[in-house]
Amino acid sequence: MQIPFNIFISLGVYALVALSVVMVYYPAKFFPVTHAATITVAPYLTYFYFQEFYCSLFFSVVGAIITASTIGILGEIFIYNPLRKRGASPMIMMIASLGVYIVLQNIISILWGDDTKSIIIDEIKVGNELWGAYITNIQVTTIAISFALFVGCILFMKYQRIGRNIRAVASNPELSNIFGIDSNRTILWAFGIGSALAAVAGIGVAFDTGMHPTMGFNILLYGIVVMIIGGVGSMWWLFGGALLLATAQHLSAYYIGSQWMDAVAYIILIIFLIGRPLGFSGKRLKKIEL
Amino acid sequence: MEYLLHLLIIIGIYTMLAQSLGLTAGFGGMISLTHAGFYGIGAYTAAILAVNYHASFFLVLPTAMLISGLLALIVSAIAIRTIDDYFIICTLGIQIIVFSLMNNWMSLTRGSLGIAGIPAIQSLDITVDGKIPFLMLTIFFTAIIFGVIHTLTQSSFGRILRILSEDEIFAQSLGKNVYAAKIIAFAISAMLAAIPGVLYAHYISYIDPTSFTVDESIFILSIVIIGGMRNLWGNVIIAAFLVLLPEALRFVGLPNSIAANMRQIIYGSILVIAMFQHNKVVKDKVQE
Repeated sequence: MQIPFNIFISLGVYALVALSVVMVYYPAKFFPVTHAATITVAPYLTYFYFQEFYCSLFFSVVGAIITASTIGILGEIFIYNPLRKRGASPMIMMIASLGVYIVLQNIISILWGDDTKSIIIDEIKVGNELWGAYITNIQVTTIAISFALFVGCILFMKYQRIGRNIRAVASNPELSNIFGIDSNRTILWAFGIGSALAAVAGIGVAFDTGMHPTMGFNILLYGIVVMIIGGVGSMWWLFGGALLLATAQHLSAYYIGSQWMDAVAYIILIIFLIGRPLGFSGKRLKKIEL
Repeated sequence: MEYLLHLLIIIGIYTMLAQSLGLTAGFGGMISLTHAGFYGIGAYTAAILAVNYHASFFLVLPTAMLISGLLALIVSAIAIRTIDDYFIICTLGIQIIVFSLMNNWMSLTRGSLGIAGIPAIQSLDITVDGKIPFLMLTIFFTAIIFGVIHTLTQSSFGRILRILSEDEIFAQSLGKNVYAAKIIAFAISAMLAAIPGVLYAHYISYIDPTSFTVDESIFILSIVIIGGMRNLWGNVIIAAFLVLLPEALRFVGLPNSIAANMRQIIYGSILVIAMFQHNKVVKDKVQE
């Protein structure tokens, strides 16, 4: 029974990270590698507010999410927006965001050190036993919050004005400008929301397994893998992608060994690129069929 | 003096890595992050052959290049189905698979323990021992790789690469076999990357997977990008600059632990600035 629970925990995190990537990838058309730094910086800020400023847990988490999302927005204002105005290609944008990630990750390293840290809320407990498996309160909270956010975000994209603007800019920036949607402003919103989602995922992981300065990169890459195998069509397919990835990883961890979890994720990616390059949703994309 | 020689050897190794990556990333326009993987395959082939079978250098080097090249053929057959940022993600995934194999295939690579006691380069009755002979050898191979890349990129093959990096469909319409050109460039680049791997294994005499991570791939790619993508001498200068940078920072008085992070912060920032510049260059060309 432990495996389905582990799958559920990973599923929540992967779906959330994939959503945060897609949120930026749709309108801004590049992979925001900087999200990896956002994923990392959010738990560190929580740690900082909670254990060094003695804020309450709620305020430190909310404060960390707001700060992390501000960092994402500042990146858009000072780096990606000027680059876009110069007509940069997605590849150039991605390399620039890789540069920003390297800078931020090393600043975190200098500030808080390279060792693994954990946020201690109260004494360590075994966790609740449920159907023969162990699950901690934190894991239950993480699962609940990530599912709620996932559904909430999809509804937001469908019915809220800003969400609809983001989809409009994603499908045709010039036409949406003609209709009076400010594309720069919309992308700014997308960055804010995407970074906040990434921050939530990072905090969830850190509460569960602790944090270190390079944790974000791996989590972000899983999110990107989920996005590619889910396809760029409907957001619901992201959930299918996350389910496939989480299931494959935890089954392989059980049967082969947990050290192969990374490799399994990318083998799935490669199988998809060979067999079904458009992902589950099958929406056409210029990049994979030349 | 010894330390200066050591730094020169390391600069030589990174120059070779950057120039071999330059063939695909710079001239071919395929930004690959698998390069540290090929570098590692070279190093591991050398280590395993030299430690377990006491093979001579003249056997080790071609074997390492062959294995690396064969793997590159498989990798490129998969990765070339994608372009631009999808290509980067795909090669990144392959790099992580290669690293994972090095780190976990205990019976072959001894995992994170690494392989120790790699002997100095020897063949027939010449043994390359000591820093100065090794530096000579490094310079010799650097010159060879420089020459190979220079000749290749000046040839008609180099022109095909340049065309396809700018407009793939146009290159296809000229009747060029884009697919073959990409795979050949990728394989040559991987074979050349195995050479510094072999040298590194023999030089340090101990290798473990942490030398061949994604970060290493990103570092090599940064040298190519900051060096000016298609500029062979630029690679040499930037490799020297980035290898010497932590030494300079230490000289200024930064503690050891921060110097490494500072180097990454500096090259990360240069990478961002280079992207602004790079774009300007491209735009100017279009306006001409």
